[in-house]
Amino acid sequence: MADPRPARSRFSPRLTAAFLCVFLLVFLRCASASRDVVSGSNETWIRPARSTQEDPHDHHGNSTEHKKAFPVLAFNFEHVRKPFEISMWILLALLMKLGFHIIPRISHVVPESCLLIVVGLLVGGTIKAVEGTNAPVLDSKLFFLYLLPPIILDAGYFLPIRPFTENLGTILVFAVLGTLWNVFFIGGTMFAVCQIDGAGLADVDLLSCLLFGSIISAVDPVAVLAVFEEIHINELLHILVFGESLLNDAVTVVLYHLFKEFSHEGSVSVGDALLGVVCFFVVSLGGILVGFIYGILGAFTSRFTSHTRVIEPLFVFLYSYMAYLSAEVFHLSGIMSLIACGVIMRPYVEANISHKSYTTVKYFLKMWSSVSETLIFIFLGVSTVAGPHDWNWTFVVFTVFLCLVSRVLGVIGLTSIINKFRIVKLTKKDQFIVAYGGLRGAIAFSLGFLLTDSKMKHMFLTAIITVIFFTVFVQGMTIRPLVELLAVKRKKESKGSINEEIHTQFLDHLLTGIEDVCGHYGHHHWKDKLNRFNKKYVKKWLIAGERSTEPQLISFYNKLELKQAMMLVESGSTSKLPSVMSSVSMQNIQPREPPRRRAMPSISKSREEEIRKLLRANLQNTRQRLRSYSRHDLMIDPFEDNVSEVHLRKQRVEMGRRVSFCTDSSSRNIHKLSLYYDKVI
Amino acid sequence: MGSSSSNMDHIPDAQHLMQETGFSAAHLVRLYERFDFLDKDDRGELRLDDFEAVSELAMNPIGDRIIRAFFSPGRETVDFPSFVRILAHFRPTDTNRTRNGRNGAQPEPANSRTNKLKFAFQLYDQDRDGKISREELLQVLRAMLEMQVTEEQLQSIAERAIQEADLDLDDTISFDEFKKSLEKVDIEHKMSIRFLE
Repeated sequence: MADPRPARSRFSPRLTAAFLCVFLLVFLRCASASRDVVSGSNETWIRPARSTQEDPHDHHGNSTEHKKAFPVLAFNFEHVRKPFEISMWILLALLMKLGFHIIPRISHVVPESCLLIVVGLLVGGTIKAVEGTNAPVLDSKLFFLYLLPPIILDAGYFLPIRPFTENLGTILVFAVLGTLWNVFFIGGTMFAVCQIDGAGLADVDLLSCLLFGSIISAVDPVAVLAVFEEIHINELLHILVFGESLLNDAVTVVLYHLFKEFSHEGSVSVGDALLGVVCFFVVSLGGILVGFIYGILGAFTSRFTSHTRVIEPLFVFLYSYMAYLSAEVFHLSGIMSLIACGVIMRPYVEANISHKSYTTVKYFLKMWSSVSETLIFIFLGVSTVAGPHDWNWTFVVFTVFLCLVSRVLGVIGLTSIINKFRIVKLTKKDQFIVAYGGLRGAIAFSLGFLLTDSKMKHMFLTAIITVIFFTVFVQGMTIRPLVELLAVKRKKESKGSINEEIHTQFLDHLLTGIEDVCGHYGHHHWKDKLNRFNKKYVKKWLIAGERSTEPQLISFYNKLELKQAMMLVESGSTSKLPSVMSSVSMQNIQPREPPRRRAMPSISKSREEEIRKLLRANLQNTRQRLRSYSRHDLMIDPFEDNVSEVHLRKQRVEMGRRVSFCTDSSSRNIHKLSLYYDKVI
Repeated sequence: MGSSSSNMDHIPDAQHLMQETGFSAAHLVRLYERFDFLDKDDRGELRLDDFEAVSELAMNPIGDRIIRAFFSPGRETVDFPSFVRILAHFRPTDTNRTRNGRNGAQPEPANSRTNKLKFAFQLYDQDRDGKISREELLQVLRAMLEMQVTEEQLQSIAERAIQEADLDLDDTISFDEFKKSLEKVDIEHKMSIRFLE
């Protein structure tokens, strides 16, 4: 054992795996111990009562020998049982997650969601084998009220608005029409299948089949996020599949309740069907309205939080959660409400809250959604072992087959209609990815779990679980090689560019003008009107102080400058410095040419002061913009404590040495910015 | 208001225009109706005040540039073919057509990516010297930011923009540099109006 430090990296995968196994065993022992104590605790509670009754007796009788000694150490598990178990489960889930990322070979091939389900299966199997009783099942209430909202809020708050609104028509068509097609195709065909003699399915009527169809058809946002996160496809496809998974919630809610209500009655009249359509509009628009109201409230509240910065993040979380719960009260679409709240709230809240609060919001959202996702998949695995199963070969096989077929047919059919209205058409490759990305997940399972108990319910649950396993395992594992095989366009890593921003805004104005010349009230016209309304009225109400009149270009520019200064300070000590600086000013200077002296004025005193003023005013308010969305990455936060004074001073010296090679005055500009930044920390 | 065929007779050189710009007959009629509407005095051509009568353009920060773009240099009026030719830049790109156009026999259509960008470039480059100078960029920024910023801030933004884009270090942005700085933006989508498809 030579160096302790390098050896650590060699040992840690094996060590961690061993540690995880040990921990798993300990956890299972405790879980079973908790069960013993549950049954035993009743006696312990009764015994003290009896003993206190006996004690006076004994006291009178043989006094000192039966006197209980003062318990130095006592065991009272019942007191903390519930929070203890919850914490143990979460800790297990997170340690598993940790383990996967340390063992690199597996995580490249198998997506995390699959591994977590396997862990869940193992845990569930072990509990069943050791205990004989059933492991805890994924309780629907737990899922819908506690596990799902953080994931949806995280997705909604960081939703990329521009691609979403540009493709909104397509997304809506896929979400609404696509899901409707899936439901009726699967439901109808399954009913036909059930009529086949010898399958033993004769008692499944049409309404039950349609109910089953409505549960199994919806694309699941959790599964889509989990799988698509890791493959980094281009923004358009990501937003199409993900947006569809979010917006189909309204359709699912309406159809599920409709068929569930009427499966008791046995038939659906035309009037009821029409009411269903009305219900759909009420559910979706109502959900959005609820989210909108809470979003505005949240934005308004954040205007006044300048003196209590510490609780700012809580407002974001609580208003959003209230939006979700309020929508659920009225059976409106909670997911759409949550998305609407996050989208509306974000621009105004970000202008108002401090940089640290913004970082807190970001960290907490990512943290909670990560934990939720992990727990959901583990519980799925555990529930698979636990739940009463009723395996019917015909039913299950046909379900899986029909899900695939209907998805493919639906996507192809709808795309041929959509492409007539799109400027940028969807190619065959795009269609394939959209069809293949139709993953089912825990929402389907929870909805199935909510059905009333019957023999059919077990059969449905088995089929649902099989479909989920199939989509997550087979489709999840093969989508990455397929994406590479088909050479689908990947996400472009783009640094913020002031040119892009200027020209994009310029083009927005240009297109609005041309539309006005044509007399055509198109996309740009309405967007321009909305922007004007926003600037004139809404911002004044919802944003505090002088930020309310700041044009978008200025805030973008400030963010960029700040990000540059931060990046320079952070990476100053590594050899990456030249490339970092090149992104701003040095890309002009090639290493082979001698650096040319640019005919630019050196920084005037007033400009330096101006830059200082800008930084000072905006260090509290501006923040880095998250360019490429990835769950596991968070930008370097220079306000973290580990950026020590010594570290910075060393970097400054290094940077000073490198900068002296360049005669570019703008690089001095950046140098001065970074020096100023050092002083500020 | 009359069948489309009788309307087509009013349009001078309709067939030639259709071929040149790629607009269909229906589009051409629609554009002619709009041209007619804007042409208040029924002169058969548009003047500056006809454009300025469009109220929304007055609110547009670069409205005056857009109006001036319709007028060829030196001319005071816009006739229908020029009107249509400018608008042809905003037709959605037809991928099949560009593939055929590669044969070299036909020039690139007006709504190709390069020509769209060239149109936008000319709006920046008012003196038509083929480069966007610092002063021209500052003028655009001033127009877009509408007096809400200080001169210092404008200078720093223009400074940074030129640094980022200027690759040959001549302190101006040429058309190629302009094209390069926008390579990640989906111009075919952004600079197309579905109405004109």
